[in-house]
Amino acid sequence: MKKRLLLSSLFVLFCFFQSIAQKRTITGTVTANDGTPLVGASVIVVGNATGETTSANGTFSISVPANAKSLRVSYIGYVDQDVSITGQSNITVALKSSATNLNEIVVTGYSSQRKKDITGSVAVVNTSELKQQPSTSPIEALQGKATGVQIINDGSPGSTPQIRIRGNTSINNNDPLFVIDGMPYQGKLSWLSSDDIESMQVLKDASAASIYGSRANNGVVIITTKVGRKGPPKINLHVYGGTQVPMRDRFPKYLNPQQFAQYVWTQYSNAGQPIAGSTMASYYGSGATPTLPEYLLAGSTVGQKVTSAQSDPSNYNYSPTNSTTFYQITKANQAGTNWFNEITHNAPMQNYELSILGGGDNSNYAISGGAYNQQGTIKYTSFKRYYIRANTNFTAFNGALKIGENAQYSYSHAIGFATNVNTAGQYAGEGSPVGWAYRIQTIVPVYDINGNFAGTRGSGLGNADNPLAILYRGKDNYNNDNQFFGSAYADLKIVNGLNLKTTFGTQYDNYAGISIGYPDPERSEGVFVNSLSENQGWVTQWTWTNTLTYHQKWNKHDFKVMGGTEAIKSTGRSLSGGGNTFALFGDINYYYLNTATASKSSGSSGYNSALASLFGKVDYSYNDKYILSATIRRDGSSNFGPNYRYGTFPAASAAWRVSNEDFMTSVSWINDLKLRAGYGATGNQNIPSFQFLKTYQQSVNATSYPIGGGALASGIWTNSYDNPNIKWEELKSWNVGLDFTLFSNKIDGSFDWYNKKTSDMLYPVPLLAQARGGGASPFVNIGSMSNKGVELSVNYHYNAGASSKNAFTFDIGANVSRNVNKVLALAPTVTNQLYGTNRNVTSSILAPGQPFGEFYGYNVIGINQSADDIAKSPEYDGARVGGFKYEDINKDGVITPDDRTYIGNPYPDFIYSLYFNASWHRFDVSMFFNASYGNKIFDETRYYTDLNGFYGAVSTRILDAWSPTNTKSMIPSPYYNASTTEVASNSYYVQPGSYFRMKLLQIAYNFQIPESFREKINSIRLYVSGTNLFTITKYSGLDPEVTQFSSTFSAPGVDLGMYPSSRQYLVGLNVTF
Amino acid sequence: MKRTYLAAATIILMAAGVSCSKSFLDTQPQAVITQSGLQSQKFVEGALTGAYGLMNGNISGTWGNYSNAPSQWLFGEVGADNAHKGSEYTDQGFMNDIEGHQVTSVNDQLPSMWTNYYEGIMRCNSTLSLLDALQNSSSTEKFASDRATQIQAEARMLRAHYYFYLRRVFGPKIPYIDETMTTPEASKAANDSDIYPKIVADLVFANANLPQDYSKPLGDVGRCDKYAAEAYLGKVYLYGTNEGIDNKYAEALALFKDVISKKGDLTSMKFQDNFDVEKKNGPESIFTVQDVINPDGSGDNANVGDMLSGFYGSAPASCCGFYLASIDLVNAFKVDANGLPLLDGSYRNNPYTSDLSNPTASYKLDTTIAFDPRLDYTVGRRGVHYRDWGVNPGNGWLRDATTGSPFVNYKTMVDQADFGAYTQSGVPYVTAQNVNIIRLSDVYLMAAECAVETNDLSDALTWVNAVRKRAATLPAVLTGSGHPAADYSVKPYPSFPSQDYARNAVRFERRLELALEGQRFFDLVRWGTAKTTLESYHNFEKNYTAAASGSGVSSYSFDDSKDDYMPIPQQEIDRGGGVLKPNGYGH
Repeated sequence: MKKRLLLSSLFVLFCFFQSIAQKRTITGTVTANDGTPLVGASVIVVGNATGETTSANGTFSISVPANAKSLRVSYIGYVDQDVSITGQSNITVALKSSATNLNEIVVTGYSSQRKKDITGSVAVVNTSELKQQPSTSPIEALQGKATGVQIINDGSPGSTPQIRIRGNTSINNNDPLFVIDGMPYQGKLSWLSSDDIESMQVLKDASAASIYGSRANNGVVIITTKVGRKGPPKINLHVYGGTQVPMRDRFPKYLNPQQFAQYVWTQYSNAGQPIAGSTMASYYGSGATPTLPEYLLAGSTVGQKVTSAQSDPSNYNYSPTNSTTFYQITKANQAGTNWFNEITHNAPMQNYELSILGGGDNSNYAISGGAYNQQGTIKYTSFKRYYIRANTNFTAFNGALKIGENAQYSYSHAIGFATNVNTAGQYAGEGSPVGWAYRIQTIVPVYDINGNFAGTRGSGLGNADNPLAILYRGKDNYNNDNQFFGSAYADLKIVNGLNLKTTFGTQYDNYAGISIGYPDPERSEGVFVNSLSENQGWVTQWTWTNTLTYHQKWNKHDFKVMGGTEAIKSTGRSLSGGGNTFALFGDINYYYLNTATASKSSGSSGYNSALASLFGKVDYSYNDKYILSATIRRDGSSNFGPNYRYGTFPAASAAWRVSNEDFMTSVSWINDLKLRAGYGATGNQNIPSFQFLKTYQQSVNATSYPIGGGALASGIWTNSYDNPNIKWEELKSWNVGLDFTLFSNKIDGSFDWYNKKTSDMLYPVPLLAQARGGGASPFVNIGSMSNKGVELSVNYHYNAGASSKNAFTFDIGANVSRNVNKVLALAPTVTNQLYGTNRNVTSSILAPGQPFGEFYGYNVIGINQSADDIAKSPEYDGARVGGFKYEDINKDGVITPDDRTYIGNPYPDFIYSLYFNASWHRFDVSMFFNASYGNKIFDETRYYTDLNGFYGAVSTRILDAWSPTNTKSMIPSPYYNASTTEVASNSYYVQPGSYFRMKLLQIAYNFQIPESFREKINSIRLYVSGTNLFTITKYSGLDPEVTQFSSTFSAPGVDLGMYPSSRQYLVGLNVTF
Repeated sequence: MKRTYLAAATIILMAAGVSCSKSFLDTQPQAVITQSGLQSQKFVEGALTGAYGLMNGNISGTWGNYSNAPSQWLFGEVGADNAHKGSEYTDQGFMNDIEGHQVTSVNDQLPSMWTNYYEGIMRCNSTLSLLDALQNSSSTEKFASDRATQIQAEARMLRAHYYFYLRRVFGPKIPYIDETMTTPEASKAANDSDIYPKIVADLVFANANLPQDYSKPLGDVGRCDKYAAEAYLGKVYLYGTNEGIDNKYAEALALFKDVISKKGDLTSMKFQDNFDVEKKNGPESIFTVQDVINPDGSGDNANVGDMLSGFYGSAPASCCGFYLASIDLVNAFKVDANGLPLLDGSYRNNPYTSDLSNPTASYKLDTTIAFDPRLDYTVGRRGVHYRDWGVNPGNGWLRDATTGSPFVNYKTMVDQADFGAYTQSGVPYVTAQNVNIIRLSDVYLMAAECAVETNDLSDALTWVNAVRKRAATLPAVLTGSGHPAADYSVKPYPSFPSQDYARNAVRFERRLELALEGQRFFDLVRWGTAKTTLESYHNFEKNYTAAASGSGVSSYSFDDSKDDYMPIPQQEIDRGGGVLKPNGYGH
């Protein structure tokens, strides 16, 4: 009580002194460049501590000393502006938005700091730019916005793109840690809307990320959601909708049926095989020239053998559960089916978000909700999301206690192929609808004579599934996700400068999905049974964080120390079941496991893990010139055995603001110049738990045996071998950087150089089979990897006549990032490890001295021109005229597996992006370009389209194949039975992957609100935007953005058929009330 | 003041949070058992059951277990003169290299064979070491000593089987791991010596310690018994003696005779019952892989190794069109006017190729050809009833005859009437058909081989003729119009005029009787006839089908020094850091 009395007396006294000084009052309005009033902008008197914030309609009234000359107006996300008040009493200030406000407060790990005080490598992403680009996931919009961050998108609705911060640091999981409002989160982000994000920071180097310790190896993305500001409720409605158009000009081009028939002819004649009597002759005849069949199939007769009696429609019998009575009649599509056209369409998308933000003296709130609906450009796929979110904060005890919460509930519903998958690209592969579209011949029509799906049934049409049929039959497959994510905190000021904060948060995710299988009798390997598989599960995680912070300033010293504890517990469990043979077809309401009459199965699995941590941080700065920061974290993880349970991760960094030195005052063109350097350690614990134990298991599939001849008896096996010495993977990194603001704040940017080394890399070194059979090899700490790189971003801001709100302003900027990844060492026993096997092709390798996932195979040095040429060249089984000639790497005169070599780097030399934002009068325009340079793509679809895998559709590239009259060609001639060595991984698959893509063009108009409506409507902004408008690339596949292929390890840049990105044309409206 | 309390309370809570973190981190592994829980009879028996569980060649899953099939169809038959890979040329392209003997160390069929059979060995070793730990513990739950010995015998018999399979494929020198070795020790075991003596030692032990009354341990039909041990030991002696590293025709013969005398009359047992899923584990069964459909209808414990031999197109089981019989094999079933096979190779004259050159509606089956009736219980051909599936329509059930042949497999499939109970639901080419590792007629023919080599031609004649007499009892298979599909005939040999004649006859009989049961290539290698047989075969076969050519080459050649065995998988060599040396086989 005593203290409060003292405070009040001081306050009264202060007011008294204020009031006796001579004063005058200035009123005014603060708006954004587009005229939108800015609520909560700070207006202070230059040279004086007095300040006010703007009210709901952007107005302010401030009492200033008589001698005051100017006001400084600032607002987060906008450039500070000094306005002269000499001789003025009412002013209007239009602030210009900016990404470079150095006083912006950013959250960097259990605390926040001014952007200008950051000593590590932190990319602060301009959220207004993020929101410009319509996207399901905030990650998608992050592409190109920060240096060192590589985002690879695909076109699937609800997808969370692949994100890599400064390359791959591990051969395991390389996804960053997300920290959302202080709560750690790992996984897909499709449940979070970009509109709700207030700020986003990417902690790229160890000195910044090390405070997150054992989970920070891959970088940390800090996401802070919107909070309310003092003022009346600000209601914002954001609506956009539009259409997505598949990039039809990028579809692969195929031989038409007549060309295909000729191709088959050539295949046989080149291989010295007679076409007569072959299966292919059934389709294309065996006369002098190939002819096309009228029918592909009638019952079990194929192609030209179909008689008119057999093709009589009265024979037709579509019996999808009885293969013996099934009688389908299919006409050949002699013109050729364009399967990519068939499976894609223009698809609508729309988004609605409503938010209410506001607050009073002791509280604020932000409540929002939204609905999002995106149809996929691949038919029968879609993603819907609905959510509500609330952030509220309260202040009590005169500001001594702050409490608050933020919480989001979201529901998403994803339908069909490749939607809302857990890992980017996990759906890709030869058995996906896109994969089938590469593999199904063009002579196959979409439908048979009675309108049922046609397919490859018969022989000689390959074994592809009709991709449209697969999509159609998957139209009722869904996966639902219900997620609650939220936390509550209390922050208590114990004494001035000393704060104690405790935060408790939970995530509860409940998911469910069903997948219905229908017969695909039209396929050559079709099944004649319907089936259902269903899964449900939940994940729960709670996090309890406590920090104690002491912040003190005296004179020019600013000192902050923070210590904390954190406990995290994660648990999950899932249940799955299946069954088949349902009495009804197509009636989704009948499909429950209870109505399955055969093959009922069930299973469940679960996990349990805990993390307990202590951490601390010290920040010191002297006169804004010398800034030091040090952090340390000690993590204990249940993933590791009792002996290696704890790991410690220190880091330190320093910055020198050169521009604040006295000797720099004369250098007027430098506004701000800061040198930074940091070093630190982070960890990775992202491996399956209990690698330190040898475990045994009983299971029906793996160990049971009908030892009595009938019923199964339970056995037991060693399913996983142990490594008692398993511990953290550790990454140590250096970062040196430079931030600059030049020429009256017109140019700003930063430059970073880094060197990261991962050691004790967690790697499931495959034990020899003789030591573990088929059991799992434990992870061991062995091997190392390095990532080195440089990053540069430069921005130029043009602002003619800042005070005029009709001024022409623009910003232009570029980001360039280069990262060089190299595997330094694997286990001493392991020479290399090949992976990424699909059919006869193994694309990728882990090998010391090479980047992670380097492409590996034979190097094509030409085409064998003649028998004589083959005789003179190093030989291999199956070498033939018109086939590949390989480089004899070890010069032993023969081509063997030892002659495989490194044939391409999946990583770019650099990635870059450009943006241009301009505004004039009430218009503004944004352009954004994203690009990659120098990466290679392993176009594995060529196995099917160029090298005859499974009699698939054949690329028009083959028209230029080698022949005795086209001897310069590097494309192998058609050949009926090319050898496994010829179609094995080789440099023919490796294609240039550079691209330059116009990611976004947006043009907006900000309406002038008539005076009479200003009370009701603050602003109206209407925009049109287009994404992916053009792409410049030499890549021959569907889309140069190729997400990693999931294999034993992830295989970057291996294209087996992605969900391609589309062009989007949208119209949006943003109204603030 | 309130604030101070609050702060104090929170700091205490934080401290509590840190101090209790030790137990906080003690989570338990989910859905597994750790070693401490295993010292009981139940788990030792469980480990043994798990060891039997690898007899079906795979751990779990259905697709992908081809080379490790217990039938050894790929190495044993496609790699020989009996079968083609089938399917389309580019499908499972590495199998073409096995068929054409162009195998490199990166052939993708090698690792699954290698890994799965070592898993079988691990399970046997694990059984032996868990048994040892239990019996040497203070536990009150020990086994009585006779069951303990039986368990040892069973586990060692299985271990011998797994090593024998590996040795047949990868050659004599492969790493040998036993139950005394730790994981790091096993990782360092080199492939520097012939494991033949170890296989023999395990089988000798099994033979001496399995129930001497020939009963099955614990009465379970799926367990190995003394019949199996005798027959297997004899078989291994035969291989060792053929290879010139042992000299045990007499010992082998004694073992085979014992089995023959105790098993009863072969002619009373029906040939076709061996391939009838409803008559599994019949009297002829000696060592057999047990296959079942799981209670939930899935196929992970079924005969997944042979699943690719399902047919194509409109056939009741219509995937995947692999494993087709060769033209040469089918013609080898021709008999002369005396009902005897054409041992001089003249069966290749004017070969029967079904509708291969005329796959049209106008094709008519020639039913006048004199065939051994076992033909239509070994392959399916156009115009002939196939099991109860109906009349084989030819191309309608084939994937690509020109890449394989027009002849589908009989022994790996089951009757359509049995689809419900004995095939995976909706996937009828995954069947519960058992796989014979050794059946009685194999023992008869091995006995005959030993007799020929010890120049006891009359015994050899008796055993070969027993097999032939039994074949003569097979009912005729009919055409669509109800006529016998061939002029069926099989008669006993009147005599064996010479040892060479007898040897040829016994080997020919072995090919016919055990065709498409995974023996052929290994027989050719142990007889030392692989080169001559296969080169002659390819020169014949290539006139009819593209499959036999091998890719890109016009003349096939077989090099014993490269092709008798498979190279050790490259991935194992790369992982071993020098522990494993390439064995010199492969291209």
